[in-house]
Amino acid sequence: MSLSAENTPDNSTINHSTEPLLKVENLTVRFSVNRKGLFGKKEYLYAVDDVSFDLNRGETVGIVGESGSGKTTTALAIARLVNAHAGKVTMHGEDFLALEDEDLRRARARCQFIFQDPYSSLNPRLRAEAVVREPLDSLTTLSEAEKRESIDRLFAEVGLRHEQQRLFPHQFSGGQRQRIGIARALATRPDLIICDEPVSALDVAVQAQILNLLRKLQHDFGLTYLFISHDLGVVQHMCDKIAVMYMGKIVEYGDRLSLFNNPQHPYTKALLSAVPAVYRRRGESTERISIPGDPPDQITKPAGCRFANRCPMSMDVCTEDQPELTNITGSHRAACFLTQ
Amino acid sequence: MSKLKPPISGQLEEEFKAQSPMMEVWSMFCRNITAMIGLVIVLIVLFAAIFGPTLYPGDPFEMVWAPFSRPGEEGYLLGTDYLGRDLTTLLVHGARVSILIGLSAALLTVLIGITVGAVAGYYKGWVEELLMRITEFFQVLPTLLFSMVIVALFGASLPMITFAIGVVSWPPVARVTRAEFLRIRELEYVTAARASGVSNFKIIFRTILPNALPPIIVQAALMVGSAILFEAGLSFLGLTDPNVVSWGQIIGSNRQYILDSSYTVTIPGLAIFITVLAISLVGDGLNDALNPKLRKR
Amino acid sequence: MPALLKVENLRIELNTRDGISPVIDNLSLELYPGETLSFVGESGCGKSMTALAIMGLLPDKVGRVAGGRILFNGENLATASNERLNEIRGNDISMIFQEPMTSLNPVYSIGEQIAEVLRRHQALSNKAAWSKAIELLDAVRIPDPQSRVSDYPHQMSGGQRQRVMIAIALACEPKILIADEPTTALDVTVQAQIFDLMRDLGRQSGSAIILITHDMGAVAEMAEHMIVMYAGRKAESGPVQKVIESPRHPYTQGLINCVPHLLAELTEERPQLAEIDGIVPSLKDFGRDECLFASRCEFADTLCRSQRPPGFDFGDDQIAACWRAGEIH
Repeated sequence: MSLSAENTPDNSTINHSTEPLLKVENLTVRFSVNRKGLFGKKEYLYAVDDVSFDLNRGETVGIVGESGSGKTTTALAIARLVNAHAGKVTMHGEDFLALEDEDLRRARARCQFIFQDPYSSLNPRLRAEAVVREPLDSLTTLSEAEKRESIDRLFAEVGLRHEQQRLFPHQFSGGQRQRIGIARALATRPDLIICDEPVSALDVAVQAQILNLLRKLQHDFGLTYLFISHDLGVVQHMCDKIAVMYMGKIVEYGDRLSLFNNPQHPYTKALLSAVPAVYRRRGESTERISIPGDPPDQITKPAGCRFANRCPMSMDVCTEDQPELTNITGSHRAACFLTQ
Repeated sequence: MSKLKPPISGQLEEEFKAQSPMMEVWSMFCRNITAMIGLVIVLIVLFAAIFGPTLYPGDPFEMVWAPFSRPGEEGYLLGTDYLGRDLTTLLVHGARVSILIGLSAALLTVLIGITVGAVAGYYKGWVEELLMRITEFFQVLPTLLFSMVIVALFGASLPMITFAIGVVSWPPVARVTRAEFLRIRELEYVTAARASGVSNFKIIFRTILPNALPPIIVQAALMVGSAILFEAGLSFLGLTDPNVVSWGQIIGSNRQYILDSSYTVTIPGLAIFITVLAISLVGDGLNDALNPKLRKR
Repeated sequence: MPALLKVENLRIELNTRDGISPVIDNLSLELYPGETLSFVGESGCGKSMTALAIMGLLPDKVGRVAGGRILFNGENLATASNERLNEIRGNDISMIFQEPMTSLNPVYSIGEQIAEVLRRHQALSNKAAWSKAIELLDAVRIPDPQSRVSDYPHQMSGGQRQRVMIAIALACEPKILIADEPTTALDVTVQAQIFDLMRDLGRQSGSAIILITHDMGAVAEMAEHMIVMYAGRKAESGPVQKVIESPRHPYTQGLINCVPHLLAELTEERPQLAEIDGIVPSLKDFGRDECLFASRCEFADTLCRSQRPPGFDFGDDQIAACWRAGEIH
């Protein structure tokens, strides 16, 4: 482990004060879908439904879920890249969702995004240095010399060579492109970086490089990550706290050890047991819970628990009432009648 | 396995001469023989249009010899027309007007088309609805008739002819641009630009447009050809400035003698045909070179 | 028991800008009925190319079998005529692909697409083919097959489409099913369903399965034998349990250790992941007489860089093509 980095910045004294860096309250995002022709009633798909969680400085919170769970939409809404329908996102005591113009730009500088696909997240017509320069130009008031210096430093920090600044994205490998994306996200020295599936488009052998880099940067600069992934192994390795999402709702939330060692929600259990085991030990110790079928139609919201129709432990109450996210132990919470 | 080293890769080393995407397109284009033939012809026509009047000085409307002297006779390379004017001089001077109208009408088309298509594709919603209905309105107009009306009403000056052609031909460009914008605006690098605080105006013209250009360039190239044809059609019908010579006008003015002296019509007709064909070849070549699916495998 | 499929010293060459490169270089394998064999490696290592070669689907004019034999029941597929290959494809060897979204034709109902295969390969009547299609949908556990059979691909989810692809692949009860990253585009709970399905069907029909994947977990769950491919060559091969528990080739070790596996008993400890530096060499370097992994390997010495390693036997069929495999363990 070389995480005992040589340069220890001022903010690495991780602030465990009561005030979280980011507070998400009742976030709801909906998309309109016109189903029944031109004159049909407007209907909505609730991609994110009443989601709340906190993010403390220096911590990594993971959101894990399958496609359609709303994890990416949650991330995009927090970063103001998708419009939220309701809810509140507080960063540094400011309501991030209400900011406009100059205030929004200032706030954007503090919250940056790393994208999933390193092949489509870099503008093919910009040289690597111009990609990293973009946020510096729009979000900071640095002088030209300072920007140059920043870019040089950022390239070194993400492990790219100085000569590579003049290259175009297509001349890099997938892993190197993701490094450029990371340099871009780091450019404005943000407090919060949202990583949306940062390694899922990369080859297995390259994933480790990027994950190690993200952890090193977090350690060096005291970064806070919101880490979105569908890969439970990656989430287990990277995150301090994990929210499991299913169809727009958080079904379970807990810290790393308690959630993985003692999952409560049937969906979390099923999800964990579905991951193929490499070593025989886990293969034998985990009981396979198979959940049949696919998630139900997202437009017609069920009255009860959204997982009820696939849940092996479903009871009558599950189809009638929605379970609330309730505390089990410490910060570990689950939305299931079985745990209440 | 403890230190984070910069990734080593042998193959990147030799590629350090940062080749821009545009250079790659050019080298791809050069490998296409038919497109290169087209390009050479286009360059010859352009050369004639620019330097021709200096090489063939003199008033193209001047009567130099007896009418209807066949090509090659009496020292006139392409012969003379019904008024005894030198066809070579006419053709060379006409090239200038035809090419000028072709290029400027295509430019106008592209400007209108890109603006409408980009705004519609980027903003979506009611803006898109409105702009696309307008586009459709222009698309269903009978183009030749509409431009004839414009020229007839506002006079047959060169700028007005250019305007008439441009104003009826932009809808396809707008549609292509919109389609490209709809596709590209969903790509992550556009979202990344928004996350970096880049303004909408810059995203449209600096981030998306350069990436949307390839099919628009192809359209524009083909548009030059069709504008030349359009102008020829208008001047054939006599809707042109009688004081400037263009290829269509040569055909139009000689059309009564097509049976006796077919060369007076055929030669400018061939000039139009070859030029438009060459432009199409260049357009096709550009299409192949710009199409990422055909690029290196 | 004779091998169902036997590949001997297969060499596949591909025309590239820089000349001819061997994308598959001296590959041999044996596949027995009812067995699952897995190909593992990064993209660009020749996993899919092997599958395409077996199917006789190498890209025309670009790739060709330059040496070796592909023996299916004793018949050499590398030299078989197109007509014969057409007969074998679908009837004896079927393939399912990574992308279930694009591998079904959107303008035909799924019933028509399954029935079409049955009519062509088994000469069934329209009616018989249709009812067999319903049976197959039931076999791949699509609920309510009677009514779903006339659905169009866009009406189904990704997992259901992949199950339809499996139904089509199984329509003629093939002896070999080649699955090229069949679950990469799917969610993990759906992946588990598909794997269950493939396992059951393999067991019932005695088909052999070739599973191409980059996921060691999938290999461990699904396969008995595995081949680790690197830059067109076999890096390591052997029984899955043995290779995963005691890998001999540094590349195999890297592939296993660079992925954060889900742990049975999680602790506070979070070690840094092992990294494999660099990337797969480019195609033009593929044929060289050296260990192609040497540039990324921390154990590489001059021998590795000057001579191609032969396969060293470590017992139980475990073979590693590494000069230093004996020392590193």
